[in-house]
Amino acid sequence: MSTASDFRIPVRRGSIDWSKPVFMALVAFLAVLVLLPLSWLVYFAVTDQAGKVTFANFVAMATDPTLRRPFILAIGMSLSVGALSCIIATPLAWFVARTDMPGRSFVRIFVTASFVTPPFLGAIAWEILAAPNSGILNVVYRSLFDLEPYDHIVDIYTLPGLVFAISCYTFPYVFTLVSNALDRVPSDLEEASAIQGASLYTTLRRVTIPLVLPAMLAGSLIAILQALTMFGSPAILALPAGFHVITTKIWSLFQYPAKPNLAAAISMPLLMFTILLLWTQRSILGRRGYTTLGAKSGVPRLTELGHWRWAAWAFTALVLLLTVVLPYLALIQTALTRTVAEPLSLASFTLDHVRFVFFEFSATSLAMRNTFLLGLMTATVGTGLALVTAYIVSRNVVKGGWMLGYLATIPVAIPGIVLGVGLFLAYSNSILPLYGTIWILLIAFLTIEMPAAYQQLSSAFRSVHVELEEASRILGATRMETLRTITAPILRSNVIATWCFVFIGTIRELSAMILLTTADTKLVSVIIYDLNESGDLGAISVLGLMLLAISFVIITIANRLPLFGGPKLTSLRG
Amino acid sequence: MSFLELSGLSKRFGPLTVVDDVSLSVERGHVVCLLGPSGCGKTTTLRLIAGFTTPDAGEIRIDGKVISSKGSSVPPELRQMSMIFQSYALWPHMTVRENVAYGLQLRKLPKEKIVSLVDDILTTTQLAPLAERYPGELSGGQQQRVSLARALVVEPQTLLLDEPLSNLDSNLREEMRFEIRRLHDAYRYTTIYVTHDQSEAMTTADVIVIMNKGHIEQVGSPEDIYERPASEFVARFMGGANILAGQVLDERTVDCGGLKLKCANAGHAAGSSVSVSIRQHTIAVTTQRPTDEMNWAAGTVVRSVYLGAHRDYLIELASGERIRAVTSTSNPVENGQAVWAHLPPEFCRILTR
Ligand SMILES: Nc1ncnc2c1ncn2[C@@H]1O[C@H](COP(=O)(O)OP(=O)(O)OP(=O)(O)O)[C@@H](O)[C@H]1O
Ligand SMILES: [Mg+2]
Repeated sequence: MSTASDFRIPVRRGSIDWSKPVFMALVAFLAVLVLLPLSWLVYFAVTDQAGKVTFANFVAMATDPTLRRPFILAIGMSLSVGALSCIIATPLAWFVARTDMPGRSFVRIFVTASFVTPPFLGAIAWEILAAPNSGILNVVYRSLFDLEPYDHIVDIYTLPGLVFAISCYTFPYVFTLVSNALDRVPSDLEEASAIQGASLYTTLRRVTIPLVLPAMLAGSLIAILQALTMFGSPAILALPAGFHVITTKIWSLFQYPAKPNLAAAISMPLLMFTILLLWTQRSILGRRGYTTLGAKSGVPRLTELGHWRWAAWAFTALVLLLTVVLPYLALIQTALTRTVAEPLSLASFTLDHVRFVFFEFSATSLAMRNTFLLGLMTATVGTGLALVTAYIVSRNVVKGGWMLGYLATIPVAIPGIVLGVGLFLAYSNSILPLYGTIWILLIAFLTIEMPAAYQQLSSAFRSVHVELEEASRILGATRMETLRTITAPILRSNVIATWCFVFIGTIRELSAMILLTTADTKLVSVIIYDLNESGDLGAISVLGLMLLAISFVIITIANRLPLFGGPKLTSLRG
Repeated sequence: MSFLELSGLSKRFGPLTVVDDVSLSVERGHVVCLLGPSGCGKTTTLRLIAGFTTPDAGEIRIDGKVISSKGSSVPPELRQMSMIFQSYALWPHMTVRENVAYGLQLRKLPKEKIVSLVDDILTTTQLAPLAERYPGELSGGQQQRVSLARALVVEPQTLLLDEPLSNLDSNLREEMRFEIRRLHDAYRYTTIYVTHDQSEAMTTADVIVIMNKGHIEQVGSPEDIYERPASEFVARFMGGANILAGQVLDERTVDCGGLKLKCANAGHAAGSSVSVSIRQHTIAVTTQRPTDEMNWAAGTVVRSVYLGAHRDYLIELASGERIRAVTSTSNPVENGQAVWAHLPPEFCRILTR
């Protein structure tokens, strides 16, 4: 800067401040996104077919046993899933986080695999493994003991079978929360207890378990919530078994003759349950959220299990075998053999299913195109919306910005199928005729993915010092320029990670989509469900493995990124 | 009309009034230091001036034009200001050169012009060899200079600095303090400098503003503030003074627990409770009983420290109060010895408590 020259730096002239209009637009958009389907849901619940206000729907719900029973079964099923997930995951988490059990580092990889598996795909895998007649396990059992054609040891088409098949894919929620909590239990507390002569058992009971109890409870509540709101697994396993849970009942009310008013009405209690569960879970974990409390303090002391380490290892191996290894092998085998029961060998090997799925079955190429197009659009638009929302909320850009945070978080409490009903009602009328187009699917995906994306990015914002943005403002950048040139690049890896998780969440979503897709707007997940109805397990396995492979690739990429906070897998839902 | 004027400025966070009816005029080209203890509202005042927050009452004017008031405020990017943040706020994803060029790029200057301006400022701040490094690869002092270069390259009218030196070690702090003053004298922008270090304020400022709990205690030149503090708070905050509580006897005489002090200033009603401040280095200590009583305090040396150039005595007075005196090193006095301290009237100041 030479004083000799008479050159003056030009003064920055005013440009429009976009923050207010953007804020307004965002509020309007999110409000429509979230509140419109909910309003239609409420409206339909309290009216009859003719549009007259009535409480008949609720009366029917209370008196009709075919409507009451699914509630009771669903609650029983979800509580069992919660309990089973907790029983599986807690010891596993402890072995991995705090003991010298062999092979600990592999466990997390397998748990991630279970996490990434869409529950409906797991349910189908278990159908392949444990259907009473054709299930591989039963076939093997019969041939080993030379039994009659109808003898079987396991039957997945039962309530316990369903509970088991769901728990295989919900236990990771408990595992993640508990192992994070265990990582933070200070070793010195345990050591102090051990030094005073307490046995391992006493230390566990008096020190460790009380410290991780909130995490266990919170994790189980998520598992319960997932089970309660899940559509795919019950539809695949409970319907053949001859019973309904709430979600499948709601779906069946949309089959001919459709009773949308009743469906809307029975969605209400389900919505209440999820809100209650989430509220309880939040109050257990406290406002800060368990996963973000403090940092890991040093290397935790590992408990030496002695001979018991092999027992622990066996337990772990069994869990991983049942939840990941067997289902995956079943899918691979089914994808590559002519009939399910044949063992995979050179003679039985075939690429027929692969050819069928990719070249012959016309529906798949359309579904794949739709799925990936929607995945890309949802991930891009959703991440963008979540970024701007998180920015406005965390930086107090406008008065009342916190409202946006609430709007963006509300969908977390809306079960997928309920959202599906709401969106169907909102967009299949003549005012907004979006039903039958991919736009209604985009709206559904954006709504579903918004809470997790928002949560992830707003915690990322908290890690960026406000002064970095202010430094840009004072040098002459507007809010939007700052967001584009400073904030977004600094948060780049968080943004990419969020994009990846939204993408994965989108390609595996079924619950809400089942009511919203039509012949022209099929998705891979829905095709898988349709193929299951027609019993085409080979094609399902090919499609399912493809979804899994894509998810793994993307997760791996996302995990490689140097993140500030670390990606949170809890943002996935089925 | 002054260049920058704050009038009746207030800012509340919930029930807490963080900036309380602050009025201040800053002349063009001056360096003004906001000085005060932690939490007194300095940063908040600076952020109000920068336009990052809007006031709840009062207004800010530049050249007579209102830029902040309760209802509306000019956004920071249009204020022709630059700011140096306590955290430096260098963008980690840009090199030194990119950080510095950012403000110029926003102003849509031609590429060659940007390069030459950036090169000039990097040379001035001795950063040229580091131009391609990322902030994470620089020392604290180098980061500080980048932040300075980035702020100055856009030729701001006003430069705001928030405790810019607090993260540096004392050698570097000395050097940077000089650097800031030198750059200011070269470019003559108006500077608002926030600090809680009084020696930093004394050496850099044309005008010092002492803040306490959100309001202004005193505005004046470094000499004013140091020699003629307007309140007990200012005297205590600037340090180096003894504060004695007492009652006004007549215009210029104060009774401090039996010790009668004639003072340099008047203006307090007889009988009112006041404080008297007297700088430590103006006190003389002797072992000879004085003939007069006025402004002479009898006491005992309880501690004496040899500081090379000075001797620092802690003296316990008959009333039990302790005062410090910094004197020449001649005629040392032992601990426990009875002494008389002379508090010269011309250095005793009556202060509101
Ligand atoms: N965004 C805010 N919300 C609520 N209170 C705030 C906010 N910013 C500052 N405060 C409070 O206002 C008071 C003054 O803060 P400020 O940062 O202006 O102090 P300061 O004089 O700069 O102190 P320091 O020397 O420690 O930096 C403090 O009590 C602080 O807790
Ligand atoms: Mg401050």
